[in-house]
Amino acid sequence: MAYVALIPLLPALAFAVMAPLSRVVRNRVRWLGVAGVGGALLLSLVAFASVWPGGHEGEAAYHASWPIAQVGGVDLSLGILLDPLAAIMLLVVTIVGVCVQVYSLGYMHRDERVGWYFAVLTLFTAAMLALVLSDNFLMFYMAWEVMGLCSYLLIGFWHEQEAPRKASQKAFLTTRVGDVGFAIGLAIMYATVGSFDFDVVLGSAGAWAPGVATAVALLLLFGAMGKSAQVPLHVWLPDAMAGPTPASALIHAATMVAAGVFLVARALPIFEASGVALTVTMAVGAITALLGGLLAAVQHDVKKVLAYSTISQLGYMFLAIGAGGAIAGMFHLVTHAFFKSLLFLGAGVIIHAAHTQDMREMGGLARHLPVTSVTFGIGALALAGIFPFSGFWSKDEILYAVWNDGHYVTFAVALMAAFVTAFYVARLWFRVFTGPVQTENLAEGHTEMLVPMGVLAAITAVIGLTAPRFSEFLGHAGHWPDPAMAVSSSVVALSGLALGWWAYGRTRLVLNTRSLKERSGHAYTVLTQKYYFDVTYEHFIIRPYMRAAESLSRFDGSAIDGAVNGAAGAWKRLTEVAWSFDGRVIDGFVNGVARAARASGGALRRIQAGRVQTYQRYVLGALVLLMLWIVVKGA
Amino acid sequence: MSESVNGVAFVILAFASIGGAVGMLTTRNIIHAAFWLLEVMVAVGGLYLLLSAEFLAVVQILIYAGAVSVLMLFVIMLTLRRREDSVRPVEVSIGGGILVAVFGTVMYVAIARYGDRVGEMPIVVPDTAALGELLFTQWALPFEVASLVLLVALVGAVWWSREGDDR
Amino acid sequence: MTIGPSAFLGLAAVLFALGLYGAVARRSAVMVLMSLELMAVAVNLNMVALSRFVTPTEMTGQFFAIFTMVVSAAEIGLGLALVLAIYRQTRSIELSSIDSLKG
Repeated sequence: MAYVALIPLLPALAFAVMAPLSRVVRNRVRWLGVAGVGGALLLSLVAFASVWPGGHEGEAAYHASWPIAQVGGVDLSLGILLDPLAAIMLLVVTIVGVCVQVYSLGYMHRDERVGWYFAVLTLFTAAMLALVLSDNFLMFYMAWEVMGLCSYLLIGFWHEQEAPRKASQKAFLTTRVGDVGFAIGLAIMYATVGSFDFDVVLGSAGAWAPGVATAVALLLLFGAMGKSAQVPLHVWLPDAMAGPTPASALIHAATMVAAGVFLVARALPIFEASGVALTVTMAVGAITALLGGLLAAVQHDVKKVLAYSTISQLGYMFLAIGAGGAIAGMFHLVTHAFFKSLLFLGAGVIIHAAHTQDMREMGGLARHLPVTSVTFGIGALALAGIFPFSGFWSKDEILYAVWNDGHYVTFAVALMAAFVTAFYVARLWFRVFTGPVQTENLAEGHTEMLVPMGVLAAITAVIGLTAPRFSEFLGHAGHWPDPAMAVSSSVVALSGLALGWWAYGRTRLVLNTRSLKERSGHAYTVLTQKYYFDVTYEHFIIRPYMRAAESLSRFDGSAIDGAVNGAAGAWKRLTEVAWSFDGRVIDGFVNGVARAARASGGALRRIQAGRVQTYQRYVLGALVLLMLWIVVKGA
Repeated sequence: MSESVNGVAFVILAFASIGGAVGMLTTRNIIHAAFWLLEVMVAVGGLYLLLSAEFLAVVQILIYAGAVSVLMLFVIMLTLRRREDSVRPVEVSIGGGILVAVFGTVMYVAIARYGDRVGEMPIVVPDTAALGELLFTQWALPFEVASLVLLVALVGAVWWSREGDDR
Repeated sequence: MTIGPSAFLGLAAVLFALGLYGAVARRSAVMVLMSLELMAVAVNLNMVALSRFVTPTEMTGQFFAIFTMVVSAAEIGLGLALVLAIYRQTRSIELSSIDSLKG
């Protein structure tokens, strides 16, 4: 079973080979990234097959750990833990990863730094796989940070432009806020248990003092909120869409942002030990699911619609886990990863074809992009939660779990979010694919781009049927959706789609949207201003911070520089005193020596041309000769 | 990770440090060279960890990776008038090659001859707490002298690098 | 696989040799300083490794490495200040442009 360790190592190796190469060579060997992730996919399939028949109560199928260092009495180790949860995540990450890499071969082939793009994408996959397989929180945190780095690099991939550069900094700093919480949580955890191992920590979580458990759980949740873009740390994700679209599909939709959800699912015993933390998780998820969905409904940029939709769906997962439906949340994570990456890849084709991201300038693409319109449609229906596509099953399980646990308010919020989701999905699809054609020279994507979309669409269409098996695999009783629940959620979703069609699909009059805008009035402004989150941060955090930094720098200039200059001045006076002493006493002696030196120096003058580098070579040559002499002479 | 050195970790770190050094010497862009040096420093910090010298590992990262590399980049930045100046022609030195060849031979002979005088790794593990205690008792005087050296260097650096014509 | 002292000594020798080559071959003063740093690090690695193998309790090598770090930090600070000062006079950081050091 040691081959499991190869799953993250293969892509990591591919990155290690690609990174030091020159740009030209790296561009030529970009297939290495695809090969690395492809190898990881094959191994993941084998690993999954080895776990599959068992699925016994979430037991680990393979567990190994290698110590790497001991720091001040603390053992640090890297470990591999393959359990059903990890096995499923492995498949999700590698399948989506391979699809995105193959797609990128077509999408990015004209970029002059395509090799670096593939290298970072591969490193990201390696980090995500390491995170999924890690058996302790420390390795988890390391992989977590590497992913943050890759995300930064990919958002800012076109760093010659202003927007991606700013977006990458914003993403990095915002997630950093969450990471600080995560790090403090880890410190408290270590102080409590003296270990980072999942086994030890999670096994003892039930016996912690409730206050400690709550503190650790909330801090971990804070980290997860940063990574998974939950309100109020969601502001970076929409801006992150400035990166290349396939990278957005892999990182900012399917996998990395799901790492936060995965963290909560992994650390679930701590959350359960606290209780309060679970309620907070649910509340954060519910708020995010609704707010994100509402924001998605007013965006005009295709990718931003999908970005806010991602925020909203991640909120759904948090909501599910908080309400006690961890399995449902994880299932939604899996289905969401497939259909959201499918939607993003479709958006990439659309943007390539229409040369714009603004859906107001699109329309009638269905005739020109038949394959994309169908696959995008499948993804959209799955997102809206329409039978029999994957989103229907997972959303249904979440609703069922929330209802069963008795959170009726949350249930209502979740239903509202589902309604809004269906609405903006319909708005997106009808706006882009129906109505009058507004752009020329439309062309379907390359084969490399369409095949991965087809694969993802096929998975999206059928994966929902595995819902009962999924629960059993993770060690819970499986069940088919409750008919009443299925009907009610379907009615909600269909009515949302119908409203979207009524507003955007019926006719293509711009008047329609304007009337909707006028009718909603003030609310619309609030939504287009993104609830003023960015503005608030700008006013209350960034500006005061800049002011504080400026005054600090003034202090630095006046006080610290003054101290240093003062010291320098004192030193100068000291040397002056020394100088007068020097002149009288020492000079006399030195002059005598100097006369002798000058006489011999004249002879040596020929090798002293005054060039520093020549001198330096003599010194180093002499050093080597000295060593030679010592070694030859023997000690 | 105490009584022996992890072979895999050693090979990885050795590869990283040598690779970084080669990268530093072969890259034509001086800014890239500074980053390659940074990589070497971090890798060597990892090697210190393998040798159970945790304090040194942290100091290594702080001083070399943190301070020295940043200083290098600052000086590069201050002395580059245009972005293109950072790219330099490849410089090959035959004299340097001969020098290194001689040095390498000497070192090879030396290690082959005397390398096995040092035996296997002792079971006793260096202790960071003991290091701190020794540093402020037995090594207190050198420690103070070192701080004086740093102070003088600081003043000297400020003196040399400041703008002014009275020099 | 056991890693003995020779492995560390060999690694340090390779790093030192690379630094030596850089110090001789490169013409930019900053690059030379970087190469010197590389050599200092190689020496430190040697001392820490030998300290681990020979004096694990006294940690003599580690103390030496600490003081070497102090000296090389001072050296790099002064060296870079010098580079700046020279740059201001000659508008160049090429070592070949520093040729006024003759008697």
